[in-house]
Amino acid sequence: MNAYGLMAVFETPADAMHAAEQVRDAGYSKWDVHTPFPVHGLDAAMGISNSKVGWFTFIGGATGYTTGMIMIWWMNAFDYKIVIGGKPMFSPFYAFPVSYELTILFASFGSLIGMALLNRLPRLHHPLLKNRRFCQGASHDKFIVVIETADPKFNAEETRKLLASAGSKHIEMVED
Amino acid sequence: MTSHALHLLTGLRRSVAAGVIALFAIALLGNGAFAAEHAKAEAKTELVEDSHHGHTHGPAGHPTAAKKFGYAYLTAYMFCLSLCLGALFIVILNHLFDAQWMIPIRRFLEHIACLLFPTMFILWIPIGYLAVDIYPWMSIDPDHDHALHAKAILFNKPAFYGVSCLLFLVWGFIAHGLRSASLAQDKDGAASHTRTMRRYAAGGIFLFAFSLTGAAIYWMKSLQHQFFSTMYGVVYFAGSVWVTAITTYWLLLYFKNRGDLKDVAREVTFHDCGKLFFAFTVFYAYIHFSQYFLIWNAAVPEETFWYVLRENGTWKWVGQLTIFGHFWFPFIFLLPIHRKLNFQAMSMMTGWAWLCHYMDLQFNIGPVLYPDGLSVGIYDVLSLGGILAVLIFMFSRAFNAHPPYPQRDPRIAEAMGVYVEPASSKAAH
Repeated sequence: MNAYGLMAVFETPADAMHAAEQVRDAGYSKWDVHTPFPVHGLDAAMGISNSKVGWFTFIGGATGYTTGMIMIWWMNAFDYKIVIGGKPMFSPFYAFPVSYELTILFASFGSLIGMALLNRLPRLHHPLLKNRRFCQGASHDKFIVVIETADPKFNAEETRKLLASAGSKHIEMVED
Repeated sequence: MTSHALHLLTGLRRSVAAGVIALFAIALLGNGAFAAEHAKAEAKTELVEDSHHGHTHGPAGHPTAAKKFGYAYLTAYMFCLSLCLGALFIVILNHLFDAQWMIPIRRFLEHIACLLFPTMFILWIPIGYLAVDIYPWMSIDPDHDHALHAKAILFNKPAFYGVSCLLFLVWGFIAHGLRSASLAQDKDGAASHTRTMRRYAAGGIFLFAFSLTGAAIYWMKSLQHQFFSTMYGVVYFAGSVWVTAITTYWLLLYFKNRGDLKDVAREVTFHDCGKLFFAFTVFYAYIHFSQYFLIWNAAVPEETFWYVLRENGTWKWVGQLTIFGHFWFPFIFLLPIHRKLNFQAMSMMTGWAWLCHYMDLQFNIGPVLYPDGLSVGIYDVLSLGGILAVLIFMFSRAFNAHPPYPQRDPRIAEAMGVYVEPASSKAAH
């Protein structure tokens, strides 16, 4: 049995928010806050920067747009030339609607894949899910801060002290 | 005084102001040089052509001084009208969606919207006076022009002047109705004013849509009365709200720095203004592309002639500016969140958006008188400067006479990011 991390239960969003600020300022990197509903401002309290998913979306979109333009040019103006309504063999104007659709399609693929990759999904198991108190609290009325033992700053004594001083009434070590 | 005027230009730094002015100057000079080059070549061909079939003029005929002034004034007027109508639209939007983030920007937009009547009405008089010089259809006999004959129910002088006056009355009714209820709420804080404003907004949005389309058709599209496009009003609308959204951002920044809005202008307010501008960047591109795409695809001469005229000479480059400057550049530039919160970048973008929207209006109006290419001269500078000066004067007077943001709007605490416990839950404790 390996120790996964130290779990501290808080009663209100405000307590969890202040605890998050203290953990952030203490310089921890591998930790998370679990709440039953989205808490505004928590990302700032945790010191999380903007998500990188946008880059996956952008690259997906740019790929989709380029693919659409090249595909239509290839089919209509290069591989099998057909004159339609006296229009030019290729024009970005008639190729635009299709390229635009592909932009959206590939951008949404990019977002989905980027989100899954960055969250390391799919994942079949997580140590926290075996903890009854975690499962009952985090999806109901508790606000839970978990600091992993894998964090370079982790120290069983010091970390427990930090969480206790932040106001947690219940702190326990979660086993894997 | 000078430093204050520069401050007004950017709200930030003199170097930024100087940069924007330099860009405008280079654009103007570049255009002048290009036009001069063009004129030389033109003069040579004219010598040859004159003997055969004379000089070719645009649909508006020979550019007399009255016409030159009329077109310059019309372009400048439509530019300023964009800002006033855009402001009216955002105020209406605020009430339709019961949005809290718009509360800080609502008051100064209410003042801008109220410029529509009577200020913009009085400023419209030169257009009404010069209408015969500006609008070619006014001097054509409908019995000799099929398109005009078919549209004679709209395009006749009584309808033109009647509808124009009606538009201002409609705008004045909505804008002043909204502002007076908003100002009355500052005094007594009654919720009934919010309901009054909602009623004005709900009815006003329909009146707004029809009246804006009417203005775009009568004052701009009718320059070439043969043209058909059901998108025309929407294109003008999208461009107007686009330029107004970024101007709103800049004004919010300006009034925050000046101190008027420092209590209510939060980071999220700027972010939301930036998002509104971004949304309209895409919406404008979508609408204008749809207009062009349908005309391009259908290839019907009654519609294509409008764009064919706008591919001549430097007009082609003005069109490219609309594609790359009006859409691609702001679109790519504003994709990351942090750019929407970068005050210096967004101030530059305000100048850029003004340039692009002005050029977009030149593209709509100019080719009728100058078919060979863009022509920007002293009349344009004087018209735009003159109208803007009047509007800024009237706006500052109104802004300084009233509280800078709605003082007792039901959502003002929310807009300021403050939680106020409702009276009912206090009583329960």
